[in-house]
Amino acid sequence: MPRSAYSTYRRNVALLTAVYIALLLALWPLIKSTSVLALKAVFALLPVVPMIGVLWLIARRVMDSDELQQRVHLIALSAATGIISAITLAAGFLCATHVIDLDGDALIWVMPGLALAYGATRWIIGRRYGGLGCS
Amino acid sequence: MKNRLRDLRDKHAWSQGDLAEQLDVSRQTVNAIETGKYDPSLPLAFRIAKLFRQPIESIFEPGKD
Repeated sequence: MPRSAYSTYRRNVALLTAVYIALLLALWPLIKSTSVLALKAVFALLPVVPMIGVLWLIARRVMDSDELQQRVHLIALSAATGIISAITLAAGFLCATHVIDLDGDALIWVMPGLALAYGATRWIIGRRYGGLGCS
Repeated sequence: MKNRLRDLRDKHAWSQGDLAEQLDVSRQTVNAIETGKYDPSLPLAFRIAKLFRQPIESIFEPGKD
Protein backbone atom coordinates (compact mmCIF):
# COMPACT_ATOMS: atom_id res chain seq x y z
CA MET A 1 0.00 0.00 0.00
CA PRO A 2 1.53 3.36 -1.04
CA ARG A 3 2.30 5.83 1.74
CA SER A 4 -0.38 8.29 0.55
CA ALA A 5 -3.00 5.53 0.55
CA TYR A 6 -1.88 4.50 4.01
CA SER A 7 -2.32 8.07 5.27
CA THR A 8 -5.85 8.11 3.85
CA TYR A 9 -6.54 4.74 5.47
CA ARG A 10 -5.35 5.97 8.87
CA ARG A 11 -7.36 9.17 8.56
CA ASN A 12 -10.53 7.24 7.68
CA VAL A 13 -10.01 4.76 10.53
CA ALA A 14 -9.47 7.65 12.97
CA LEU A 15 -12.59 9.39 11.66
CA LEU A 16 -14.78 6.28 12.00
CA THR A 17 -13.36 5.58 15.47
CA ALA A 18 -14.21 9.15 16.50
CA VAL A 19 -17.76 8.66 15.21
CA TYR A 20 -17.96 5.40 17.16
CA ILE A 21 -16.86 7.08 20.41
CA ALA A 22 -19.20 10.03 19.82
CA LEU A 23 -22.13 7.65 19.24
CA LEU A 24 -21.30 5.71 22.39
CA LEU A 25 -21.10 8.87 24.48
CA ALA A 26 -24.28 10.32 22.99
CA LEU A 27 -26.43 7.19 22.90
CA TRP A 28 -25.52 5.39 26.11
CA PRO A 29 -27.39 7.81 28.40
CA LEU A 30 -30.38 7.63 26.04
CA ILE A 31 -30.44 3.83 26.22
CA LYS A 32 -30.77 3.98 29.98
CA SER A 33 -33.51 6.57 29.87
CA THR A 34 -35.68 5.04 27.14
CA SER A 35 -38.13 2.27 27.87
CA VAL A 36 -39.02 1.36 24.25
CA LEU A 37 -37.23 -1.91 23.46
CA ALA A 38 -36.93 -1.28 19.70
CA LEU A 39 -35.41 2.15 20.34
CA LYS A 40 -33.00 0.62 22.82
CA ALA A 41 -31.93 -1.88 20.17
CA VAL A 42 -31.41 0.87 17.57
CA PHE A 43 -29.35 2.95 20.00
CA ALA A 44 -27.33 -0.08 21.04
CA LEU A 45 -26.59 -1.13 17.47
CA LEU A 46 -25.81 2.28 15.96
CA PRO A 47 -22.18 2.33 17.25
CA VAL A 48 -21.62 -0.97 15.44
CA VAL A 49 -22.08 0.77 12.05
CA PRO A 50 -18.80 2.77 12.12
CA MET A 51 -16.98 -0.33 13.37
CA ILE A 52 -18.25 -2.27 10.35
CA GLY A 53 -16.80 0.59 8.31
CA VAL A 54 -13.45 0.10 10.04
CA LEU A 55 -13.56 -3.63 9.28
CA TRP A 56 -14.31 -2.81 5.64
CA LEU A 57 -11.30 -0.45 5.52
CA ILE A 58 -9.06 -3.13 7.05
CA ALA A 59 -10.29 -5.70 4.51
CA ARG A 60 -9.58 -3.28 1.65
CA ARG A 61 -6.15 -2.55 3.07
CA VAL A 62 -5.34 -6.26 3.11
CA MET A 63 -6.66 -6.68 -0.45
CA ASP A 64 -4.51 -3.76 -1.64
CA SER A 65 -1.39 -5.15 0.01
CA ASP A 66 1.30 -7.05 -1.84
CA GLU A 67 1.92 -10.77 -1.38
CA LEU A 68 4.30 -10.53 1.58
CA GLN A 69 2.06 -8.08 3.41
CA GLN A 70 -0.96 -10.31 2.79
CA ARG A 71 0.99 -13.23 4.18
CA VAL A 72 1.84 -11.25 7.33
CA HIS A 73 -1.80 -10.10 7.69
CA LEU A 74 -3.02 -13.69 7.32
CA ILE A 75 -0.58 -15.19 9.84
CA ALA A 76 -1.18 -12.34 12.31
CA LEU A 77 -4.95 -12.60 11.99
CA SER A 78 -4.82 -16.38 12.39
CA ALA A 79 -2.64 -16.11 15.50
CA ALA A 80 -4.81 -13.34 16.98
CA THR A 81 -8.00 -15.30 16.28
CA GLY A 82 -6.47 -18.35 17.93
CA ILE A 83 -5.46 -16.37 21.03
CA ILE A 84 -8.85 -14.68 21.43
CA SER A 85 -10.72 -17.93 20.69
CA ALA A 86 -8.76 -19.74 23.40
CA ILE A 87 -9.36 -16.92 25.90
CA THR A 88 -13.09 -16.67 25.19
CA LEU A 89 -13.50 -20.46 25.25
CA ALA A 90 -11.71 -20.68 28.60
CA ALA A 91 -13.74 -17.75 29.95
CA GLY A 92 -16.94 -19.37 28.70
CA PHE A 93 -16.20 -22.63 30.50
CA LEU A 94 -15.15 -20.83 33.69
CA CYS A 95 -18.36 -18.82 33.53
CA ALA A 96 -20.50 -21.90 32.84
CA THR A 97 -19.02 -23.62 35.88
CA HIS A 98 -19.55 -20.45 37.99
CA VAL A 99 -15.83 -20.13 38.74
CA ILE A 100 -16.02 -16.57 37.42
CA ASP A 101 -19.02 -14.35 36.95
CA LEU A 102 -19.32 -12.65 33.55
CA ASP A 103 -22.39 -11.16 31.94
CA GLY A 104 -23.12 -10.44 28.28
CA ASP A 105 -21.35 -7.07 28.44
CA ALA A 106 -18.06 -8.97 28.27
CA LEU A 107 -18.76 -9.67 24.57
CA ILE A 108 -18.09 -5.98 23.86
CA TRP A 109 -14.41 -6.63 24.61
CA VAL A 110 -13.96 -9.42 22.06
CA MET A 111 -13.45 -7.09 19.09
CA PRO A 112 -11.05 -4.67 20.84
CA GLY A 113 -9.20 -7.71 22.19
CA LEU A 114 -8.92 -9.16 18.72
CA ALA A 115 -7.70 -5.81 17.35
CA LEU A 116 -5.05 -5.56 20.08
CA ALA A 117 -3.93 -9.17 19.59
CA TYR A 118 -3.83 -8.63 15.81
CA GLY A 119 -1.72 -5.48 16.18
CA ALA A 120 0.73 -7.28 18.46
CA THR A 121 1.01 -10.43 16.34
CA ARG A 122 1.35 -8.39 13.16
CA TRP A 123 4.22 -6.43 14.70
CA ILE A 124 5.97 -9.61 15.85
CA ILE A 125 5.54 -11.40 12.51
CA GLY A 126 6.45 -8.26 10.54
CA ARG A 127 9.77 -8.16 12.41
CA ARG A 128 10.58 -11.63 11.08
CA TYR A 129 10.57 -10.14 7.60
CA GLY A 130 12.65 -7.12 8.55
CA GLY A 131 9.78 -4.98 9.80
CA LEU A 132 6.97 -4.08 7.47
CA GLY A 133 6.55 -0.54 8.76
CA CYS A 134 3.50 1.43 7.85
CA SER A 135 2.91 0.03 4.41
CA MET B 1 16.67 -19.41 -1.69
CA LYS B 2 19.55 -17.14 -2.70
CA ASN B 3 19.11 -14.30 -5.17
CA ARG B 4 21.04 -11.60 -7.01
CA LEU B 5 18.36 -8.97 -6.69
CA ARG B 6 20.53 -6.51 -4.82
CA ASP B 7 23.37 -6.79 -7.36
CA LEU B 8 20.98 -6.28 -10.25
CA ARG B 9 19.34 -3.33 -8.54
CA ASP B 10 22.73 -1.77 -7.83
CA LYS B 11 23.73 -2.18 -11.49
CA HIS B 12 20.70 -0.17 -12.50
CA ALA B 13 21.36 2.34 -9.71
CA TRP B 14 17.85 1.89 -8.41
CA SER B 15 16.82 2.35 -4.82
CA GLN B 16 14.67 -0.29 -3.15
CA GLY B 17 11.79 2.15 -3.52
CA ASP B 18 12.40 2.49 -7.27
CA LEU B 19 12.41 -1.26 -7.72
CA ALA B 20 9.37 -1.70 -5.50
CA GLU B 21 7.44 0.80 -7.60
CA GLN B 22 8.29 -1.01 -10.83
CA LEU B 23 7.31 -4.37 -9.35
CA ASP B 24 4.17 -2.97 -7.72
CA VAL B 25 5.17 -4.18 -4.26
CA SER B 26 6.23 -2.40 -1.09
CA ARG B 27 9.82 -1.37 -0.41
CA GLN B 28 9.74 -3.65 2.63
CA THR B 29 8.96 -6.62 0.38
CA VAL B 30 11.94 -5.82 -1.86
CA ASN B 31 14.10 -5.58 1.25
CA ALA B 32 12.79 -8.91 2.59
CA ILE B 33 13.55 -10.62 -0.74
CA GLU B 34 17.03 -9.10 -0.98
CA THR B 35 17.93 -10.16 2.55
CA GLY B 36 16.61 -13.68 1.97
CA LYS B 37 13.87 -13.34 4.56
CA TYR B 38 11.14 -13.93 2.01
CA ASP B 39 10.99 -16.02 -1.15
CA PRO B 40 8.77 -14.36 -3.76
CA SER B 41 5.88 -16.14 -5.41
CA LEU B 42 6.39 -17.49 -8.91
CA PRO B 43 4.45 -14.61 -10.55
CA LEU B 44 6.57 -12.04 -8.70
CA ALA B 45 9.77 -13.92 -9.55
CA PHE B 46 8.71 -13.83 -13.21
CA ARG B 47 8.03 -10.09 -12.96
CA ILE B 48 11.52 -9.59 -11.50
CA ALA B 49 13.10 -11.70 -14.25
CA LYS B 50 11.17 -9.82 -16.94
CA LEU B 51 12.17 -6.45 -15.50
CA PHE B 52 15.86 -7.33 -15.51
CA ARG B 53 15.54 -9.29 -18.79
CA GLN B 54 17.18 -12.36 -17.34
CA PRO B 55 15.99 -15.92 -16.84
CA ILE B 56 14.63 -16.68 -13.38
CA GLU B 57 17.34 -19.25 -12.67
CA SER B 58 20.05 -16.65 -13.19
CA ILE B 59 18.49 -14.45 -10.50
CA PHE B 60 17.26 -17.07 -8.03
CA GLU B 61 19.00 -20.24 -7.02
CA PRO B 62 17.85 -22.84 -4.54
CA GLY B 63 19.37 -22.76 -1.07
CA LYS B 64 19.99 -25.64 1.30
CA ASP B 65 16.30 -26.04 2.14
